[in-house]
Amino acid sequence: MSGKMRILTGIVVIAIVAVVSGVWIIRGPGPLDFAGGPKVALADYRAGKPTGVPAKLEKASLVERGEYLAKAADCMVCHTKPGEKDYSGGLGFKLPFGTLYSTNITPDKDTGIGNYSDQDFLNAVQRGKRHDGARLYPAMPYTSYTYMTDDDVLAVKAYLFSLPPVRAKVPENTLSFPFNQRWAMIFWSAVFNPDTRYRPDTSKSPEWNRGAYLAEALAHCGECHTPRNLGFALDNRKKFAGAITAGWRAFNISSDKATGLGNWSDADLISYLSLGHAPGHGSASGPMGEAVDHSFSQFAPEDIGSIVAYLRSVPPVASPDLPATTAPVAPASHKEGVTADARGKMLFAGACASCHGWSGESPVSPMATLTGTWAVNDPAATNVAQIVLSGTRRHTPDGALSMPAFGNAYTDDEIAAVANYVTARFGTKGSKLTAKDVAELREQTAE
Amino acid sequence: MHMAITLTINGETKSFDAPPDMPLLWVLRDILGMTGTKFGCGIAQCGACTVHVDGKAVRSCVLSVSAVANRAITTIEHIGSTPAGAKVQKAWLEAEVVQCGYCQSGQIMSAAALLAATPNPDDSDIDAAMAGNICRCGTYVRIREAIKHAANGQS
Repeated sequence: MSGKMRILTGIVVIAIVAVVSGVWIIRGPGPLDFAGGPKVALADYRAGKPTGVPAKLEKASLVERGEYLAKAADCMVCHTKPGEKDYSGGLGFKLPFGTLYSTNITPDKDTGIGNYSDQDFLNAVQRGKRHDGARLYPAMPYTSYTYMTDDDVLAVKAYLFSLPPVRAKVPENTLSFPFNQRWAMIFWSAVFNPDTRYRPDTSKSPEWNRGAYLAEALAHCGECHTPRNLGFALDNRKKFAGAITAGWRAFNISSDKATGLGNWSDADLISYLSLGHAPGHGSASGPMGEAVDHSFSQFAPEDIGSIVAYLRSVPPVASPDLPATTAPVAPASHKEGVTADARGKMLFAGACASCHGWSGESPVSPMATLTGTWAVNDPAATNVAQIVLSGTRRHTPDGALSMPAFGNAYTDDEIAAVANYVTARFGTKGSKLTAKDVAELREQTAE
Repeated sequence: MHMAITLTINGETKSFDAPPDMPLLWVLRDILGMTGTKFGCGIAQCGACTVHVDGKAVRSCVLSVSAVANRAITTIEHIGSTPAGAKVQKAWLEAEVVQCGYCQSGQIMSAAALLAATPNPDDSDIDAAMAGNICRCGTYVRIREAIKHAANGQS
């Protein structure tokens, strides 16, 4: 080998090593690597049954089992445009580089997935590969669903195919170059989709393994609650540390005591997941409200318990921008406490005080209590502004409680003022939102 | 889905069937025939539907009936039998507050809750308590005067 060739070979080797290690570093650990115990193939796991449906549905029909799993995977929320037929797609996801529309997954042969074979469906859900060979964008959380067993994925298919076909053509995506190049997702998938089924961890309890399967493969918690890396994939070094998704803040659900779930009681977590509310922790709204309404509220109690057991094991990661403790109850009199921001106060008096009270403890319902919630203790006020813009509705076994949407009633400037007042009065540190920030939040929410 | 519901309204027990998420306002007006409480906007932004729950002024149009079971509800029909409510009603008549009258049930309920909690309110207290009650006739000046008169016991 000549000297020049040697240098060239050296450069090429260094470049390959650099790229491979760069990819390796960006990719980071998998979602379950933190557990650390020995993993076995599902077929070799005898201690319990982490996959499939809960015991009460064990003898149910394939379609019924598929219905449970489809709800556990929360397919409907993304695959249904509000006001349209269930699973008929067309919900727009507004991204910085264009809008992406969810697909029609009813069994309509022309506009839905009616022509999908079992293998086609497995390829889509576990590998992000469409029937025609085109690649799906990872807005479809196939890097999570890839952990589902074939049996469970095909049960979901059987359920979807039992539904009436809906003829509904979804709009074309409006992504800009280079994001409109679907083929590029081949490389993304090669790096970020493990394309592997769930492998139980024998050092953990059967309950933990069930919870891990539900949380990772089906409920795909990390898709909103884990920050993303340079490649827009989940950065599991900060697993469940919280992130902004669709304009809402998905808070820290790691076991961190101050800013995560470490100080929540089991009863709080069970209540929050199954009812969308836990006393002193606020109510699920925005995307989490939808997840509770359509998914977690339908879970069997033992499955909720398993998810709680699993969440407890996720290593603590702190959210440095959140206070170590949430603010106490504000004074009952409007005169005490925060007095700055006269405009925010005026709006609060007129539009908010009758339900939320001046103390933050609602005279109407514990669900409307602001004290203790992360939303008002987040100095960025993201979710306060969002809930003012879009309102919320909580369904419970006893009925519903709703907050109207104020997005069309107030200007961005007014919403910023009231959010700044609310976070200052009921949280630890007032936000500094501007009208521009609120306009941006409006832009980010899904249609 | 209807269910049997029992409420305590103005000290009396009322039992009826209703969907659990039916707003209290609908129950009052349509099921119990208590039409003194008014429907205005339906989204808790005008105050016409104000009633008291455990002595606090709340908007009954967004409050589901299941959320107020076992709590004491007071409406405009009964507010005159509370000390603050009686004072407010008297001052209201003497100051001739009412113009068209549509908002006055809600105004009186909010004013009575204010005086019960803050017997001598200043202007800022009145602003904070009454800002959610809108009057299209613009009788705010008279409302403020009447609240002050009721507080001072003069009229």
